[in-house]
Amino acid sequence: MLRFLLHRGGQALIAAFGVVTLVFFIQRLSGDPTTLLLPETATEADIEAMRATLGLDRPMWIQYLDFLSDMAQFDLGRSFVQNTSVWEILLSRMPQTLQLAGGALVVALVIGLPLGLIMALARGTLLSRLIMGLVLAFQSMPTFWSGIMMILFFGVWLRWLPPSGTGSLAHLIMPSIALGLLSLATYARIARAAIIDELGKDYVRSARARGVRTGRLVHKHLIRNSLIPVVSITALEVSQLLAGAVIVETVFAWPGLGLLMVQSIAARDFLVVQAVVLLGAFVTISTNLAADILYSIIDPRVRLAENS
Amino acid sequence: MKYLSKGLLGGIALAVFMSPAIARDITIDLAGEPSSLDPHMQWNPDSYYVYRNIFDNLVTRNNTGEIVPQIATKWEQKSDTELVLTIREGVTFHDGSSLTPEDVVYSVKRITNPDFGSPQLGQFNQITDAKVVGGNQVSLTTAGPYPALMAQLVKLSVVPQKVVEEVGDEAFNASPIGSGPYSFDNWKRGVSVTLTQNENYWGNAGPFDKAIFRAVPDAATRVADLQAGTADLVVSIDADAGAQLSSSPNIKVLSAPTERVGYVGLNLDKPPFNDSAMREAASLAIDRLGITEGLLQAGEVPMAQMASPAHFGYDPNIPQFEYDLEKAKEITAANPDLASAPAVLATAPVFDQRIVQAIQQMLNDAGFNVSISMSDMPTYLNIVRSDPSENSELSFGRWSCACQDADGITYPTLHSDSAWSRVNVPEIDVLLAEARTSLDPEVRQAAYSKVHQMVRENHYLLPLYQAAVLYGASADLEFEPTANESMFLNRMSIAN
Repeated sequence: MLRFLLHRGGQALIAAFGVVTLVFFIQRLSGDPTTLLLPETATEADIEAMRATLGLDRPMWIQYLDFLSDMAQFDLGRSFVQNTSVWEILLSRMPQTLQLAGGALVVALVIGLPLGLIMALARGTLLSRLIMGLVLAFQSMPTFWSGIMMILFFGVWLRWLPPSGTGSLAHLIMPSIALGLLSLATYARIARAAIIDELGKDYVRSARARGVRTGRLVHKHLIRNSLIPVVSITALEVSQLLAGAVIVETVFAWPGLGLLMVQSIAARDFLVVQAVVLLGAFVTISTNLAADILYSIIDPRVRLAENS
Repeated sequence: MKYLSKGLLGGIALAVFMSPAIARDITIDLAGEPSSLDPHMQWNPDSYYVYRNIFDNLVTRNNTGEIVPQIATKWEQKSDTELVLTIREGVTFHDGSSLTPEDVVYSVKRITNPDFGSPQLGQFNQITDAKVVGGNQVSLTTAGPYPALMAQLVKLSVVPQKVVEEVGDEAFNASPIGSGPYSFDNWKRGVSVTLTQNENYWGNAGPFDKAIFRAVPDAATRVADLQAGTADLVVSIDADAGAQLSSSPNIKVLSAPTERVGYVGLNLDKPPFNDSAMREAASLAIDRLGITEGLLQAGEVPMAQMASPAHFGYDPNIPQFEYDLEKAKEITAANPDLASAPAVLATAPVFDQRIVQAIQQMLNDAGFNVSISMSDMPTYLNIVRSDPSENSELSFGRWSCACQDADGITYPTLHSDSAWSRVNVPEIDVLLAEARTSLDPEVRQAAYSKVHQMVRENHYLLPLYQAAVLYGASADLEFEPTANESMFLNRMSIAN
């Protein structure tokens, strides 16, 4: 187990190093940020002064080594625009994104799993086809469109929910649904496939032969057994949710990391953009690492195959 | 019991009628949150929409664009390089302390200190010294005669020296104290900034108890907020949203021409636009009215000079450009080899691509061979600032100096010293330098008129239009948008 953990941990570290390096060089590839930070009327002397202030006048490899050493100390620097530590900005926005991702996961699981179950149990019926159509529609709708439609319908027309912003549970409903719809479709389809798979197994047939009713069968056996693929897909969905949050947070003016990213790009605050990209990458790397470890606990064959 | 309930009802009714009228709060949806609330730091609309209400500036512009007193009540040009301002007495900051001439001097020195690193330094670095003279007067010295000084002072906010020095720049930005009609209440990062009315304001503080500036980046959401009644005023909407809103009974759409001028830059060192006939053909091929009224539709006005009616130095006698595609085709047909030389139109995602594509198509219809090169903003900026040999043949840009003086727009785009300029005409250089250093408005205007005329005749670059902005507002909000895109709460009112 220890060898497995070291192996996977090492891989994660290499991936993290790769991301840090990529982020550094891609930002430099896209040009000198000083021209963006200064107004159009800035003179060459103003630009040179700003380059010196930012340390961009030094050789690239020195900048890179500095950057690596800062990263090793978890120093993300200071935002030039907000004049505050980047960590402070990230931490102030993180709870909002976690709330939204949590809300979206709840929507996806609470609605997606029962839909999957119904689709599996009522396979071949009109109801199942209708739900499948609905799920496909959820999966195909771009979030910026479904978000705006919800705002117009529930916010402007019915006036049931606040169209944008934050501050109450009511504010969280629409963004959570908009962000959760895509995952909802994934969960419904995964659950449907898993339950259909389970339904064909011998124990289901023998349980039915013993006269076990569908309700009890679902409750006692099917749900539990079909949860394994659902749990493993959640690790992937978390990074999907973070990516989707960029659009949903922008549409609903929800002040999380996604909106921070958009605002920082608009304000040309490249250290903050860099930090959000790095954070997203690390979340993806660590959820994948956690999923790998979980697999190896659930199914020791994964670990053994790796070791051999 | 009957009497008791009657008495109770009467009491409630009395309380309702006796209580003062409930003042209204205003919620304004901006496209982003302020980058900074320290007025000496960032200069962008989302920031100054907010902090211009917290701080007073030395002078301001009224809604018709004239420079009028604010903290400075009078000013006098003592010599070519010295301006003396009289500072308003009886003004207090939100912490109760008095605003003094020393605070004015401190504010000037703070923003002009290169170590402070203000992005606005370029707007104020002609000021070489500031000192208190004779009690309530402040003298400003400039490096040379500087006619745009008053136009720049419109943007100079006065900060309290004692507070800034005590708390430091970072804490001051997080909790700013000014002398303006609204004082800072709180800043929920990424969400909103709330201001409350300054009851001790020396002038009219406006009708609002509280003002909430929210960051709503998506234009469609801002429009929805206005329709749902959760916002009273929203900024930066496009013509389509404007048309959609104008049909709502409780909403009005407000438009104002700004001081930004859209133009096509030409590379005068490379074919085909090193040839004056080709430049003329390009100008004839561009349907400016089609761009402003067909594409943009927000109140933009075609321009034939690098200035707008919002600028000092604008000449109303410069005639509009002619649109004549047939004539353009004749010119290009006379020299097809030159016309078909490949020309790259450089642009960045920040610009309205509808305009860029329309220009490409109009030029190609006239026989040119234009392709669009879209790059990220830093690359675009490097291209348009590079040497002519590396520069693209065409570029689209919009220029604003936030000073409403032709100097801020003609000098960078037309003077040979400027990295942005592809023009190298000694006579234009002389005229621009003269207009930049003369304190005589007539001399300046004459110089700018001559420059506009030369640019129009020789098509050194192709001015297109004066940009406009659209706001959406609830029908009962009285607000007059201005060319400098300010949003002074104390100039707004509520219609009965």
